[in-house]
Amino acid sequence: MECKNAQNMLEAYLDGELDRDAARALEAHVDACAACREALSGLDELRRALRAGGLRHIAPAALRERIALAAAAQRPPHRRAPGSTWLRYAAACLLAFGAGGVSVHMWNSAQGADSALSHDIFAGHWRALAAATPVDVVSSDRHTVKPWFAGKLAQAPLVQDFAEQGFALVGGRLDYLGAERVAVLVYRHGQHLVDVFVLPAAANLAAASEQQGYRLQPVRLGNQPAAIVSDMDAQEFSRFVTLLGNAR
Amino acid sequence: MNPAQASGWVGELAQQHLDAAYNLGRWLLGNEHDAADAVHDAYLRAERAAQTYAGGNARSWWLAIVRNCCLARLSMRKRETHLHSVDGAAAAQGLNSEVEERVNAAQCNTLLAGHLRALPAEFRETLVLREIEDLSYREIADVLGVPIGTVMSRLARGRALLQKSLGASPAQEIGHGM
Repeated sequence: MECKNAQNMLEAYLDGELDRDAARALEAHVDACAACREALSGLDELRRALRAGGLRHIAPAALRERIALAAAAQRPPHRRAPGSTWLRYAAACLLAFGAGGVSVHMWNSAQGADSALSHDIFAGHWRALAAATPVDVVSSDRHTVKPWFAGKLAQAPLVQDFAEQGFALVGGRLDYLGAERVAVLVYRHGQHLVDVFVLPAAANLAAASEQQGYRLQPVRLGNQPAAIVSDMDAQEFSRFVTLLGNAR
Repeated sequence: MNPAQASGWVGELAQQHLDAAYNLGRWLLGNEHDAADAVHDAYLRAERAAQTYAGGNARSWWLAIVRNCCLARLSMRKRETHLHSVDGAAAAQGLNSEVEERVNAAQCNTLLAGHLRALPAEFRETLVLREIEDLSYREIADVLGVPIGTVMSRLARGRALLQKSLGASPAQEIGHGM
């Protein structure tokens, strides 16, 4: 990529508006180009200042009340008038439904951090499945994959090939969970692609979950927390969990 | 959608994105009073327009209405200042609002806020929506009613201006300090 092109794409990259391939191409250029690196870190610094500066004005409580009052006034009056039994029954149903909604919402926010993480992991896996290739470094040799990560992350993950057990190492890629850059080890089992996201040490993914037929399972990889995501059947999945858990 | 459903829906939408609306109002209009009034106007306007809402991103739709109400107030304010500028009482009023502006400035008294406030409105609003409200290019384009390319060029220009003014001022501050 030419520097001139890269300069024009830096902001879109920072804003998360580049597709995967373009972002990768830009990263490769930035890794090699001091001027672009400096420009990018300048932009990043500005962003952090803008986001950390307490620049967001929060709506005063009085305004919130004012809108709530205006909204109540908008509601047609027959809703508040005492109605037939049927109407009261309907209102009770609505209330019960609303209360359910509230408790579900509270439950969701309690699970917030965890589900944001698993959401990112599922999204990363699906993105990789949709991409032309799910890996950045193609190799079945762990001695190639591990050093490739070593140059890009603070801690390179434990890499092991399980081809003999039916889970062949395909390669690795870098992905993002929130703002965190993480390693992903990619295995293939028959027709199934298996991603192992190596999580930051502080990440706390408590429970397994399932979305649209894909399963996500927390596991420990050496001394690092990790998560396996794939659409393999349950039996094969648990076999891989055991293999990975025993990797040394 | 019947009116009852529509009104409940708009009210919830407004409450859900009230901080975003108010924040945009503050950065466009500069003070609490006008921002709150503009958001209130916007809510009423949104209720009237609810029937014509054609789907799509509801937050963008709501913020676009808020922005229009802010711009309407801005142009009204400009007209008033123009009409009253020969009038002594208005001069005092002008002074009052200047004081008010300074008080507001003190509340948000960071260097960065000052520079952001000093940016031309088109860059200021684009940066606020991107950096503070975290809207995507598409959403910003919808709120402002401009093509995505325009959003990108305004962001680039706005960031460059901010970086330039920040680069110019800290050095002076250090000079004063010593």
